[in-house]
Amino acid sequence: MSATNSFCKMILLLTAAIAGLIIATGSAAQGIAKGISPPPLAPLGPPPIPADNPQSPAKIEWGRYLFFDPRLGGDASTGCSTCHEPDQGWSWAEDISRGYPGTVHWRGSQTIINSAYYSKLFWAGSSTSLEAQARAASKGGVAGNGETDIMEARLALIPEYVALNRTIFGTEWPLLRDAYRAIAAFERTLVQRDTPLDRYLLGDRTALSAEQLRGKQLFEGKAGCIQCHNGPLASDENFYNIGVPGVKRWERDGLAQITFRFELYAKGVSETLYRTLKDDPGAYFRSRNRWDMGKFRTPSLRYTLYTAPYMHSGQFDTLEEVVDFYNAGGVAADGRTTAFPETKSPLIRPLGLTELEREDLVAFIEAFSGEEILIEKPELPPYAPLFTRAQLQAAQEAK
Amino acid sequence: MGVRITNRHHFLAVIMGTWLAFSAQATSVPDLGPLPPLQYNKTKAELGKRLFFDKRLSGNAGIACATCHDPTQGWTQNQPLSDGYPGNGHFRNAPTLINVAYKKVWNHDGRIGTSLDDMVREMITEDYIMNMDMRIMQERLKQDPRYLQMFRDAGYGEPSNGKVRQAIPEYLKSLTSRNAPFDAGTMSAAAKKGLQLFKGKAGCIQCHNGSLASDGRAHNTGVPENFDIFLNPENHQAFIAFALFQGIENQMNLKRDPGYYNVTMKQADMGKFITPSLRELKYTAPYMHNGMLATLEEVVAFYNAGGGKDRRKSPLLKPLGLSDDEQRDLVAFLLALSGDPLTTAEHVWQEPYPAEYATIEDWKHVRN
Repeated sequence: MSATNSFCKMILLLTAAIAGLIIATGSAAQGIAKGISPPPLAPLGPPPIPADNPQSPAKIEWGRYLFFDPRLGGDASTGCSTCHEPDQGWSWAEDISRGYPGTVHWRGSQTIINSAYYSKLFWAGSSTSLEAQARAASKGGVAGNGETDIMEARLALIPEYVALNRTIFGTEWPLLRDAYRAIAAFERTLVQRDTPLDRYLLGDRTALSAEQLRGKQLFEGKAGCIQCHNGPLASDENFYNIGVPGVKRWERDGLAQITFRFELYAKGVSETLYRTLKDDPGAYFRSRNRWDMGKFRTPSLRYTLYTAPYMHSGQFDTLEEVVDFYNAGGVAADGRTTAFPETKSPLIRPLGLTELEREDLVAFIEAFSGEEILIEKPELPPYAPLFTRAQLQAAQEAK
Repeated sequence: MGVRITNRHHFLAVIMGTWLAFSAQATSVPDLGPLPPLQYNKTKAELGKRLFFDKRLSGNAGIACATCHDPTQGWTQNQPLSDGYPGNGHFRNAPTLINVAYKKVWNHDGRIGTSLDDMVREMITEDYIMNMDMRIMQERLKQDPRYLQMFRDAGYGEPSNGKVRQAIPEYLKSLTSRNAPFDAGTMSAAAKKGLQLFKGKAGCIQCHNGSLASDGRAHNTGVPENFDIFLNPENHQAFIAFALFQGIENQMNLKRDPGYYNVTMKQADMGKFITPSLRELKYTAPYMHNGMLATLEEVVAFYNAGGGKDRRKSPLLKPLGLSDDEQRDLVAFLLALSGDPLTTAEHVWQEPYPAEYATIEDWKHVRN
C-alpha cells in the first residue's frame, strides 16, 4: 500500500468522522440539508432471538409464571410484575417506580412491551440483554432485593418449576440464571407490531388519520423527533441529555432522598459528586465521562399511550406535556430543566410549533400504540416439601 | 479466629471421656464462676440500643434485631425455630443475647469466631435473616436527625455501616447476667445439690464450664433433627440458601443440620454444635440449636439417657443414672444461673421511631 493511498484513506475516514459529528451534534435541518438522513421509521419486524437462548413453548410458559412470581424477590413480595404491571402499561404509573418494600426506586419503570428489541436495557443502558436486565432488577436493593441463594432455594421447592426446568434446561434443580433466561423468553413474546403506524408503513394508507399524517410530517421535519426516534423501534439507542428535570419528589420525600444517595453511593461516584449531585447523572455511571452527565438512552415511542408518566424521571403526565417540553426547547412548563445544562444536546431547541401542530404531533405519537396488551395472570404453583416425614425419619435412624 | 476444635482436641476429648469413666470428678476444666464486668461506652451503647430495636435495619424495614431476640422472650423467641426474614423461615433456634459479648465464637455452628462486629454484619446482611443492603441502611440512618445527633455524640461522625457494626456490639456489652442466685450466693438447697451433680455425677461441667458455663467448642450430643426445618418449605428454603452460600455440597438432599461441619468441612464434625451458655435458661425455652427440647426437665432427661442417637456422638455422653430427685436438683441449679430478665428501659429502647423519614429541607442546596 502506497503512502498516497494511506493518506487518501485517512482523508476519507476524517470526512466520514466529520459527517458523523454533524449528525451527532448538528440539527436535523443541517443533517437533512446535507442529504444525511436518520434511518426512517419502519414497521417492526419479529424480535431478535439470541442464539444462546432460543425460544420454546415450555420456556415461555415457565417465564410467564416467573415474571408474575413475587418469590423472585427478597421477601417474596416483589417480582417483575410488581413494578411492571400489565394494567399500568407493563410499567408503573408513578413518576418513579415503587421499589422494594421499605424503599422507593429513583427512576420511572419502563414498559416490558417491545423491550425485546433494545440492545441497551435500563435508562442508562446498563444491561445489554433482557437476561441481564432480569438479573439486575431482581437483585437490586431498591428493586427486587433478592439474593441468588434464597431465590434459587425457593425455585427448588416449587415442584412445577423443578419439572419445567428439567424439561427445558435439563438440570436437576433450577438455576437462577436459567430462570432469567425463561423470563427473557417470555418477555420476547410481549411485542406489538400491528400499530396504526405499522399498518400505514406496510401500505394501509387509511391506517393514519389526516391529523396523524400531518403529525408525521412534523415528526420527520419541523419538530425533528426523527433525529433520535428513528428506525423500527423509534429509538436510536443513543444517549442524550434533552433537558428533562430531575425527580421533583426528591425535594420533599425523605424516602426518595435516601434512594438518591444510595444510588450515588452504590454506583460508586467520587466523594465530591456524592456530596453535591442533585440530579441523576445517567450514562455517566457507565462511562465516567463528564460529557455523559445527565444523558439517557432514547426510549422507544411504541406503546407510550399506556405508559404515562414519561421520561426517566417521570416528570410529565401526558404526551401533550412531553410535546410542550420539546417545543420549549427542553424546558418544563414550570421552568425546570436538567441539572447538567453543559451536556444538553444541541438537537434540542425551541421548535415554534403552533397549538394545532402540537395536537397533530400528539395524535401521531398515539399511532405508535395499538390495542392495550393485557393477559391473564397465571395462578402460581405452591411450594411443596422436598422430603416426606418417613424419609426424614429414616435419615434420623441412620445417623 | 475463635476457638476451633482440631483433631488433636477431639482426640484429647476422647481421652478425657475415657478417663472420666474412671473418675467421677472432672478437674481439668475451668470452674464455673462469676462473669467479669464489661466496660463499655454508655453513649455508644445508647446508640446501639436504638439501632437494635429499629426495623429500618432490615431490607424491607419489617424486622429489627429485637424481633428474633426479643427482651420479653429472654432475648430470643420462645419457639423452636427463629422467624427469620419475612418471606422465609429459619432452621435454628435464636440464642439469647444476654452475655453474648463474652463469647469467643458465635452461631450454633461456630461459623464466626472473629468479633461481634462481624456477627452483627452477618445478621444484618444475610438474605434469610435481615436481608439488608447496608448501603441502603447507611442512607436510611442519615435521613434520621436523631441518628445524626447520636452518631456525632458517640464520636462516630456521620452514620456509616462500619460504625453500626461498632455501636451494636457496644450496646450488647450491656446485656449481662445480673443477680443470678449462683452469682449472688443465694442458691436454694436443691440448687446446691444440683451444682454438685453438675460437677460430678452428671459431668455437665466437662463442656459447660467457665464463667459462661460453655467451653465454646463444638460437640455432637445427638439432638434429634427438627423435621419442621424440612417439612416447612419456608424454613427449608432458608436452610438451602444457607447451604448454597456456605458451599455445603449435596444441599438439596441434606436431611440434617450439618452444624460445625460447615466450618471444617470434615465429616467427623457433622452434627456438632457449639456448647451454649447455660445462663438465663429460665427465659429461653425451648432448648438446643433447633429447639427440639421444650423444657429443662426434658433437657436433663435427654442427657440422663446419654444424649440422642448419632454414631458420631461425643464419647463424653453416656447414661448418667440420675434419680428423679437428682434430675430435679439439677434443674434447680440450672435455674439458679438465671438472673434479672433485663426488660426495663435500661436495656430496651422504648421511644417510638418516626413513622416516616424526615425530609431534608432545601435539598437542592445542602450537601448530601
